[in-house]
Amino acid sequence: MAETDEEHGTPTTAARDDPDPVTMARARSRVYDLLAATFDGEMGRLVSALDDAVFVSLAEVLPISIETGDLETAETDERALGIGYDNLFVVPGSHYVPPFASAHAIDPSEEFESDSPYHSAGEAGELLGDPAADIAHLYDAASFEPERGDDIPDHLAAVFEFMAALCEHEAAILEEADPDAEALTSVRELQALTLSHLGWLDQFEAAVAAEDTVEGVFAALARIARTFTAWDARDGVQADGTTPDKSP
Amino acid sequence: MSTDDNSEDGASVSRRDFVKAVGSIGAVAGASSAAVNMDLDGLWTDANQHYVGDDYGEYGASDVIHTTCGQCNTFCPIKVRLDDGSGTGEYSSLVRKLAGNPYSFLNTQPFAQVPYESDPEDVAMGDVDGSGDVDADRWSLSGGRICLKGQAGIQTAFDSYRVRKPMKRVGSRGSGEWRTISWEQAIEEIVEGDDELGHPGIRELWAHAPQDEVMADWDAVQSGEMDKSTFDEKWEDSLIDTDHPDLGPKANQIVDVGGFRRNFIRTRLWHQGLGSINSIHHAGTCGFSSVMGNVRSHDGKKKRQYPDIENCEYLIVWGTNPMVANKGPTWLAPKLTNAIEDGMRMDVVDPRLSKTAEKADTWVPVEPGADGALALGMARWIIEHDRHDIEYLQNPSESSASADDEPTWSDASHLVLVDEETGPKARAADLDLVPSNADNADDFVVVDAESGEPRPASDVDTAVLDVEITVNGRRVESAWSQYRDRVYEYTLDEYADMAGIPVEQIANVADEFTSHGKQAAIMAYRGPAKHTNGFYNTRAIATLQHLIGNYDWKGGQITPYAGYNTMSGRYELGQVPDGHSPWGIPLLRGGINYEDTSLFERDDGYPAKRPWFPVAPPQAAQEIYGSAADEYPYGVEALFIRPYSNNHVMGVAGGDQIPAILQDTDTIPLVVASDTVIGETSKHADYILPEPTYLERWENFGTYPNKRLADEKISQPAVSVVPNARPFENVLIDMWKRLDLPGVGDESIPDADGDLFPLDQAEDFYLKLAANIAYDRDPVPDASQDELQVFKESHEKGLGEQFDLDRWQAAVTDEEWPKVVTVLNRGGRFEEPVDDYASDFEEKGHEYDFAGRRDDTNAYDGDHMRYKLGSRVDFYSEVVPNGKHSYTGERFDPLPRVDDVEHYDGTVQAAVSGEENRDRPLRLINWKPRTQGMHRTQNSPWLRETRPENPLWMNPQDAEERGIENGDEIAIDAGRRTVDGIAMVTSGIRPGVVGAMWGWGRTGDGAESETVDGQTRGPVEADGHTPYQFDEPMADEAGLAKGRDAGFAINHIQPLDGELGDTGLSDLVGGSNAQYDAFVDVERR
Repeated sequence: MAETDEEHGTPTTAARDDPDPVTMARARSRVYDLLAATFDGEMGRLVSALDDAVFVSLAEVLPISIETGDLETAETDERALGIGYDNLFVVPGSHYVPPFASAHAIDPSEEFESDSPYHSAGEAGELLGDPAADIAHLYDAASFEPERGDDIPDHLAAVFEFMAALCEHEAAILEEADPDAEALTSVRELQALTLSHLGWLDQFEAAVAAEDTVEGVFAALARIARTFTAWDARDGVQADGTTPDKSP
Repeated sequence: MSTDDNSEDGASVSRRDFVKAVGSIGAVAGASSAAVNMDLDGLWTDANQHYVGDDYGEYGASDVIHTTCGQCNTFCPIKVRLDDGSGTGEYSSLVRKLAGNPYSFLNTQPFAQVPYESDPEDVAMGDVDGSGDVDADRWSLSGGRICLKGQAGIQTAFDSYRVRKPMKRVGSRGSGEWRTISWEQAIEEIVEGDDELGHPGIRELWAHAPQDEVMADWDAVQSGEMDKSTFDEKWEDSLIDTDHPDLGPKANQIVDVGGFRRNFIRTRLWHQGLGSINSIHHAGTCGFSSVMGNVRSHDGKKKRQYPDIENCEYLIVWGTNPMVANKGPTWLAPKLTNAIEDGMRMDVVDPRLSKTAEKADTWVPVEPGADGALALGMARWIIEHDRHDIEYLQNPSESSASADDEPTWSDASHLVLVDEETGPKARAADLDLVPSNADNADDFVVVDAESGEPRPASDVDTAVLDVEITVNGRRVESAWSQYRDRVYEYTLDEYADMAGIPVEQIANVADEFTSHGKQAAIMAYRGPAKHTNGFYNTRAIATLQHLIGNYDWKGGQITPYAGYNTMSGRYELGQVPDGHSPWGIPLLRGGINYEDTSLFERDDGYPAKRPWFPVAPPQAAQEIYGSAADEYPYGVEALFIRPYSNNHVMGVAGGDQIPAILQDTDTIPLVVASDTVIGETSKHADYILPEPTYLERWENFGTYPNKRLADEKISQPAVSVVPNARPFENVLIDMWKRLDLPGVGDESIPDADGDLFPLDQAEDFYLKLAANIAYDRDPVPDASQDELQVFKESHEKGLGEQFDLDRWQAAVTDEEWPKVVTVLNRGGRFEEPVDDYASDFEEKGHEYDFAGRRDDTNAYDGDHMRYKLGSRVDFYSEVVPNGKHSYTGERFDPLPRVDDVEHYDGTVQAAVSGEENRDRPLRLINWKPRTQGMHRTQNSPWLRETRPENPLWMNPQDAEERGIENGDEIAIDAGRRTVDGIAMVTSGIRPGVVGAMWGWGRTGDGAESETVDGQTRGPVEADGHTPYQFDEPMADEAGLAKGRDAGFAINHIQPLDGELGDTGLSDLVGGSNAQYDAFVDVERR
C-alpha cells in the first residue's frame, strides 16, 4: 500500500509491490486505446474485448461497483452492437447522446441560433464549441493530430486516443537509459490537464444510461470510462497534483 | 468526471491488480511515441492569436488621415485608418482603426520616429527603409503606439447617444426633455432672446466700454470734477455697476466655459471679439496648484518640471502615476520601463501602490496632504548632512552660473527686505548700492563671498548663503537663511510623524536623491497639489530640486515645452483689428487683490463673501456656479459651456451642487451648451448645440511639456459622423457676425505684413495656424504632386461631401499650400533627433537611440538639455506675499510651508501639523483609471468591459475592523451623502486611507433616459462581451460591461466648503479645488 499524504489522499511514495512505472504507463495506454476504439465505433475491437472479458476484469478492480451483467453475454452480436453505437453516438435521433464535450457544455461559447437537434437555444450544446478549442490547444502542445473522433477534437474517442499516446510516450521516456525528467514531467502534466477536461463524462454517462436501456452495453462502458478516468486522474497519472481542475 | 466516487470509503485500486486486469488487452497499435512532441509552454501563455496576427490588409496613404487623439489630455498624435467602402449611414466614412502616428516621437517610444520627409505612402505601407518589417519583426513603424483608450475613440465618434441636431429644452431646465430645432432658430434665439423660454438674447445683454475712458471719468468723480449722476448716466448701459466700475463692462457677464480651443475661442472671440474677461478653462479642477507651485518656484517662461528619464539615475515619482496617466501609456511608460531595466532607481511617493509604484524600488505611502512635511523633512536631512550643492546655490546670477557651467541659478543668496510688509527682495538701488538710474539698479543684492560686502548680484561670482545683516539702515536676510529657518521649524521626527513615514525612510530617500549629482530628478503632479495646501506642498517639493541644482542637466529636470510657432509667424492669429480689450474683475477673482477693489470697502473688508485668488490666474473653475448664485462679484447673465472637456458636474469636487444652480433661470438667464452628447452638465442648459468630436474637427492641442525635441500637433477633421454638428467656433462666428463684433468676417486676421484675411469658419484659422507651423525655423518641404493627390484622396474618402478642397486651399496662399499639406499629411511637425536623419535612419533603423547616443543630437547640448529652463529658481517667492487670504487678510507665505487642509473660514478639514476633529475615520483619495481617459469615455463598451466599475480600495486592517471582505457590497458614508460601492481589500493602500478611480457614477450620455422630440430612449444596459484569457490557460473569462451609470461618482462625496456650502474646498494660493480630503466611513451592506 502506498504511503498516503493525509491531507490530499494522494500517494507520495510507491509501495514495494507496485508494478514498475513503464508497465503501469503502458497498461494505462492500453486501456485508453481500447476505450478510444470503442467510442470510435470500431466494433471488431469491442467485440474481441467483450469476448475476452477485459471490461469485466477492469470493472472488478475499479473502486466503484459497476454492474457488468450486460457485458457478459455468451455470444456478442457485432451487428447489433454497431446499430446500437450508431443510434447512440452517430445518428442524431431520439436516442442520440453526442459523444463530444461541446454538446454538454453548460455555457455556450457564443450566442448562436441553431436548429441542431441536440441544441436547445440558450442552453448551450453545440458542435465545435469552446471545449473543442480547449482540447485542441492541448493537442497542439504535443503536436498531436487525432485520427479518431470524426475530426471532432473533443470527441471522446479522440481524447482517449490522445491519452493512449501520452501514456505510451511516458513509457517510452521511462525506458530510456537516462530518462529526461523535464519531458517526463511535461507529459504527465499534459495527461492531468487532459483528464481535467473530462468533467462532462458525468453528464455523458447519465445520458447514455438513460438512452441505452435495452442492450445496456454502452451504458456499462460509459460508466467504466467515467470511473476509470476519474481513478486515473487521481491515482494513475503521476503529475504533482497541483494542476487545477478545469471541469466546467 | 467526479473524482469523489472512490474517496468516501478510502477504497483504492491496487496498481498490480490493475496491470493484471488489463493484461489481456492487446498491445496498442499505432500509438507511437513519435506522435507526441511535447511543448507545454504554449499552454501557459495566451493563445498566439491574441498578439501576433499573420493576416493583415495593406492600405495606402489615401486611406489615412493623421490627427490628434482627444480621449484624454495626453493628446497623442494618431492616424485614422478610414474604412473601405463604408457609407450607408449619415456619416461620411467609418473608421477601421486608430493607431499612433509614426511621424511623432511621442508615439514611437522607445524607438525613433520615421523621418519627417518620409513619403506618406511609404509610411502607410510600412515601406520606409529602417522602419522594420511586419512580416519579419511582427511590428513596424507604419503604425505608432496607441493605448486602449485611444483605440476606443471610434466609439466616442460613433456613439449612438450623440446629439444630432440643435436642441431646445421642453419644460424646466433639467427636465430631460428636448425638441430639435434648426441652426437658424438656435442662433436667432440665442442672439435675440426667446419669449417661449423667457430668456434674453446676448444682443440685449452685451455691452462694452473702454477701461481708460471709464476709469478717467471715475477718477474725475472721486476728485469732484464729475457728478456721480453724470457718470451713471454716461455708463449705466455698458457697466455692470456704476457704483463699482472696476467690475468692468456688461460683456463680462457673458461667460465662456470650455477647456480646449483656447487660442481661438478665448483669445480671439471672447476676449477681443466680445470684450469679456471671462473665458474659463479647466485649471481649477486640474493640477492648477501644482502648476502655480512650479510657476512661483521658477522664473523661466515655462516652468513645469519633468525628469529626463533616459539619463536619470534616480527618479522620485511624487503623487502621479506616469505608467497610467500624465502622458503615461504611450509616452512615459516605455521610457520608464526601459530606464528601470537600464538600472535607474525609481521611488514612488503615493498613499496608494499605483501601477508606477508597483515598478518602484521603494513605495513611500505618504499620508495624503502631508507631502510638504515629507519634502521639508527631506530638505532638513539634506541640509543637516551637507548634501546640497553649495557651489550651485552660491551662484547669484546668470553670469556666475554660466561660468560654472550651470544653465540655471537660484535666489538662495539674494537678500530680502525683512522689515517690509510684503518682504520683497532688495534691489541694488533700494540699499543705495548704486544710483537709482544705474543699469544694475534693479539687480538683486547679495553678499560677495570674496569681499564680504553687499553687491549687485550680477557683479558677484560667489555669494554668501547665510546672511542676516543691516545694510544702510535696512535689515536684510538671505532667501537661504529664511528657507533654512523654515525647514528647521520642525525636527525630522516631527516631519516623519506628520508624513506618516519612518525617519529612516525619509533619510533613505533624501540620501539617494543627493547621491547622483545632477542625475536625480522628481516628477510630481496632482497628488501633493490637489489639497488646499497643494501650492505649498508643490513649493516644498520644488525646492528639493533647487538643493541639487539639477535643472537643464542631462538626467535631471527637464522643462522644455519645445515647439513651433502656432499663433504668429506667417499670420498673427491672436490679433484682432479694432478688437475690444477685456477688463474688470474676473468672475473667478484671480490675479487681483480683494483689498484693491471697491468691493473691499462695500463689504466692510474681511472676510470676503467668497474666496479670492490674488496670485493665481482667474481659472478656479470650481467657483463658477457658486459665484453665479451669489452674484459675487457680479451675476452671470449668459453661460456658454463646452462640457465635452469641462463636465463640471462630474469634474468638480461637490459638483453635485451645480445642477440646482443651473436649473434656476433667475440665477443664470441663458445657458447654452455645445456638446457631443447630453451630458451631466449640458442636460441643464436651455440649448444643446451638436458639437463634433475630436475626430471631426480642428484643434491645436497643447503639447507635451516633458520632451527633449520640439513638436507641434494639429488636429484636423478625419470623418464626419453627425452631419449637423458644427464646431462651436463656427457657431460663434455666425453669432459675432450677427452682432457685428470685431474679429470675424472680412479683414479679420492680419498676416505678418498687416494684410487682412477673412475669418468665416474654423478652417480659416487652423490652416493659417498650420502655415505658421510649416514656416517656423527652416520651413518644411513642399508636398509633392503625389502627396497633394494623397491629401485630396484621403480627405475626400474621410469627409465626403463635407470636404471642400478649394475652400481649404483658399485659406492660405498658393505658395503656402504645399507646405501646409506637408504638415497636415503628417498630423503636425516633429523635430528629428539628429540632422541628416533620413540616411541614418535607413542605415541604423528605428531601434537605434539617435537622440541619446549621437553627439550631434538635437536633444542635448553636451551634458545639458538643448531646450532649457535657463533661469533663476526661487526658494523665496516675492510674488506670493503680495496676495492676502480673503477671509482673514493674512499674507500668503513666500516660502514653502507645512499647512493644514482648511475650509475657507480656516476650519481644519485635515490636519498636517495641527489637530482636526474627524467625524469619520478614513481619508478618501482617488485617481485616474487605467482604462478610462475622462468621465466622457465611459460611453465606450470596450473600456467598460475592462473595468466595469470603481471598487473602493481598503487596507486589510481597515477591512478587518469592519468585517469587510474583498468583493463585499459596501456603503460609503461621506457624511452629507452615502453611496454604494464594492470593496477591494488590498495591502496596496495605506491603512486609514481608502480610494477609488474617478470617472464612474454617471447620469448623462446614455446613463439615464433622454427624451428628444417625444421619443424616449432608455439608458444603456450592460453590453459587450469579450472573453479574454488570464494566466491560466483556457480558464477565465471576463468582460461584461455594466451600464454607463455603473459605480459611484467620487466628486459627489467630497466635502463642501463649510463657509460656502455650494462647492468643494479651494487652495486660495494655487487655485486648485481639493479632491483628496474627504473623510468617510465604510460598512458592509
